[in-house]
Amino acid sequence: MAAEQTISPASKATSGPNWLLRDLAGLAVILVLAGIGYLLFPNNLALLTRITAIALLVLSLDLVTGYCGIATLGHAALFGAGAYAAGIAAAHFGITDPIIMVVIGAIGGAAAGLLAGAIMLRGHGLAQLVLSIAIVYLFHETANKASGWTGGSDGLAGISPDPVFGLFGFDLWGRTAYVFGIVLLVLVFLLLRVLVRSPFGMLCRGIKEDPVRVSAMGASVNATLLRMYVISGAVAGVGGALNAISTQVVGLDSLSFTTSAEALVMLVLGGTGSLYGGLIGTLVFMWFEDFVSSINPFHWLTIVGALLIAVVLFAPSGLYGTAVQLLQRIRDKR
Amino acid sequence: MQTVFSVGTDALAYGMVLFVISIGLSVTMGLMRVVNLAHGAFAMIGGYIASYAAHMLGFGYAVAILLAVAGTILISIPIERFLFRRIYGAPELTQVLMTIGITFCVIGIANYVFGPTLKTIPLPDMLRGPVDLGYRSIAAHKLFAIACGVVVAGALWFLIDRTAFGVKLRASVDNAAMAGSLGVRTRIVYAVSSAVAVGLAAFGGIVGAELLPIEPYYALRYMVTFLVVVSVGGAGSIPGALLACLVLGAIDTTGRYLVPEYGEFFFYLAVITIVCLFPNGLLGRKR
Amino acid sequence: MKTILLSAVAAVALCGSAYADTIKIGVIGPFSGPFAIQGKNFKAGIDAYMALNGNKVGDNDIEIIYRDVPQADPAQSKALGQELVVKEGVQYLAGFYFTPDAMAVTPLLEQANVPLVVMNAATSAIVTKSPYVVRTSFTLWQTSAPMAKVAKERGVKKVITVVSDYGPGVDSEAAFTTTFKAEGGEIVDSIRMPLSTNDFSPIMQRVKDSGADAVFAFLPSGPTTLGFVKAYNDNGLKDAGIQLLAPGDLTQESDLPALGDSALGMLTTFHYAISHDSPENKIFVEAARKAIGNPAELSFPSVGAYDGMHVIYKMIEATGGEQDAQKAVDAVKGMAWESPRGPVSIDPETRHITQNIYLREVAKAEDGSYINKEIATFEKQGDPGLAAAK
Repeated sequence: MAAEQTISPASKATSGPNWLLRDLAGLAVILVLAGIGYLLFPNNLALLTRITAIALLVLSLDLVTGYCGIATLGHAALFGAGAYAAGIAAAHFGITDPIIMVVIGAIGGAAAGLLAGAIMLRGHGLAQLVLSIAIVYLFHETANKASGWTGGSDGLAGISPDPVFGLFGFDLWGRTAYVFGIVLLVLVFLLLRVLVRSPFGMLCRGIKEDPVRVSAMGASVNATLLRMYVISGAVAGVGGALNAISTQVVGLDSLSFTTSAEALVMLVLGGTGSLYGGLIGTLVFMWFEDFVSSINPFHWLTIVGALLIAVVLFAPSGLYGTAVQLLQRIRDKR
Repeated sequence: MQTVFSVGTDALAYGMVLFVISIGLSVTMGLMRVVNLAHGAFAMIGGYIASYAAHMLGFGYAVAILLAVAGTILISIPIERFLFRRIYGAPELTQVLMTIGITFCVIGIANYVFGPTLKTIPLPDMLRGPVDLGYRSIAAHKLFAIACGVVVAGALWFLIDRTAFGVKLRASVDNAAMAGSLGVRTRIVYAVSSAVAVGLAAFGGIVGAELLPIEPYYALRYMVTFLVVVSVGGAGSIPGALLACLVLGAIDTTGRYLVPEYGEFFFYLAVITIVCLFPNGLLGRKR
Repeated sequence: MKTILLSAVAAVALCGSAYADTIKIGVIGPFSGPFAIQGKNFKAGIDAYMALNGNKVGDNDIEIIYRDVPQADPAQSKALGQELVVKEGVQYLAGFYFTPDAMAVTPLLEQANVPLVVMNAATSAIVTKSPYVVRTSFTLWQTSAPMAKVAKERGVKKVITVVSDYGPGVDSEAAFTTTFKAEGGEIVDSIRMPLSTNDFSPIMQRVKDSGADAVFAFLPSGPTTLGFVKAYNDNGLKDAGIQLLAPGDLTQESDLPALGDSALGMLTTFHYAISHDSPENKIFVEAARKAIGNPAELSFPSVGAYDGMHVIYKMIEATGGEQDAQKAVDAVKGMAWESPRGPVSIDPETRHITQNIYLREVAKAEDGSYINKEIATFEKQGDPGLAAAK
């Protein structure tokens, strides 16, 4: 799905010699933005941390949707699996070191990714979409049923992470959580940049364009996609763990269809098939939602809907994709 | 034995209600190739108009249905003209974004205009109360829904398989350029089928309102159900959708009777199994 | 250096309001989405209170800041709670329709020095999560347990319970089952159904097959209750004389016009009915109806919000506008007053509201509208849920 919509600035970057420079520039932009966020909105760090966690989910979704062409409305299953894995480790087993919690979250997400991927890859197109919905509902129900472990619909409380390196505690102002989240995001982002440019990443993109040809070349389509799914699960799991650490509670909503659908909306809003698109989509959607819902908590949904329609009408390749196309056109004219 | 019959009847009734509500989506998704997440929004608009016509304007049930279907189609015309036409043939994810946006807007507007309370559509006396079937009693409106399902299925099958319009529609779907060069005015064909799909959505919204009550969040609440039913049946296939509704209705109803605690597991595991066995839907065409 | 500067900024934001003459109250609730009506009722209760009692306590102006959490979402709730405290500098947090949303905020309270007044969320354990939590709504134990006594009194021997399969449903089931068994009754079967259930006919078939005299049910207020009550009628359970018993969530006033005749005669136990006959309630209902706009939308969360505001006003009075959560909470422990729902008090130990629970029957009023008519009273009910949890 969505093959036509994809823009691949990354592939252009590889053809040029200056890809390293571009990555560093991208990294610099993220860090500068993060710094500006910290300085300008010191009282909104909780929201910014939440955006960071969701950005990890959207990046992870981009890996399977944007790079492999697998449409899913159930990606929150992996995010929630990571959140619950980290949360349960802390609440039931007393593993409260935030870094270990993140690792556990990544493992939980990867395991969920393996399971979900194995099922998802049995269908194509619409069937795949329905499989993803079924999976996220099954995860949701399982967590609801296992209330002894997960707290059920009341949410898993009692997560109190230790200070990072024993120095920086998680407090009311959320500074530690924010910096912690940004560091995670930057690390994941760098790793993913390397990943999508690697032969493996190229193979995934090839599968998306034409799976028959790739399998004719002798590569195993399903094994490759499954591997990507596991990696994607790990990334989503890191996001989930960050959410669990920063909010110290995990709710069933983290495994919900709604969260999955919102993540997909954010990704398409920003533009699929490029990591920057995912980041921009998350930032714009969540900031906009917070902004309009604090102005009018009662009727903001209409405005968000209008934004989505406007984006389809005026920026059909997503915000980042359309911006890249515009830049390209200007450059071509020159 | 009586219990088996009884549960079977419930399953049939539930399946047919599902069919009436979701068949419009099968038309948009299968024939027009639009992943229309706003289907529930149109069903909801139909419900609101019918409720308004019955309560505020004092019309009877039949008139309310007609008004609602006509009114919903009328509302959908500008939406089709200015928004949907932009996404025919667009990538599916773009369609998802657009139709979710429309759904959000409709929810917000419904909440603002009609308020967040439940709205009912008063049934005529004939459809009120239980009917005795001998081995059990069943709500009269459920029998009505079953009848509606049969009529809708028959009429749609006739329209698509037996009329000149159906031929043109199938031709436009398979190859719009070729159909156009043969003199089929594909734009009109698309506009008409879109109106039919919206009309079916509104009709389904009203007939199913006893089971799925009308309120602003309706548009999103049941979206997943519609999507699953249509995909399991095979988008665009009328018999497929009917079969899927009956099968899923039966699974859901038996699941809820036998193991209500695990009803959700039962249903979604069945969906996964069916989708894995029939990746193109029960009666869907292979693409 | 930067951190010091920032903490200073934050500290000013936190404490500054203590000397300013505007006191901010942050209210978190579902103001859009599927539960928008409940959030609307929060606002109506708050507006009604401020219309009747003024928007000033002493010299301090009161300002309400609303934040929307459309569905249970603890992470968002916590982020918004944090934002309200740190950025908006609220001195009080209130609202909360869902239990997990309230639970998520409790760890903030101590550090933020902010009391939390729960206006709806109904799981018993919330008050134990922080000493700064006060609740003015109800718990499911509180509203469900008296129904078991009603069943016993009315000669019901065998009951089947049917609840939605999530926290509140399980609470309600436990409350009824425990009490009914203690009264010597028999529970023939307990069914938990998924929240997403739309078609209740198979469930009704189960009820019929179980041979019970009555069915005790809990579903969250909203669209599914309509399908449930209609299925109960359509499947001939009402005609077969199987009594439907439930806590009042099933017949909240805003759903009653839709339920219509099919709900007539239904028995529910609850802490508040809009038709409650008292001068206090008349004044409240009039003000709240004006605040909400459409009178048909008024429902029980409004009274939780109204009394919540009463408690907060008392807290502000006691602290003189200073930010001191401990002092504020201490001031309302044991406080008793005449609420629109009847006489109430805050239990000094649990900080939960002690109130009358009423047995009501759905009836038609003189003007043709449907009401929950109170027919019996269980006086001064505490929360049995906390004791049961121990």
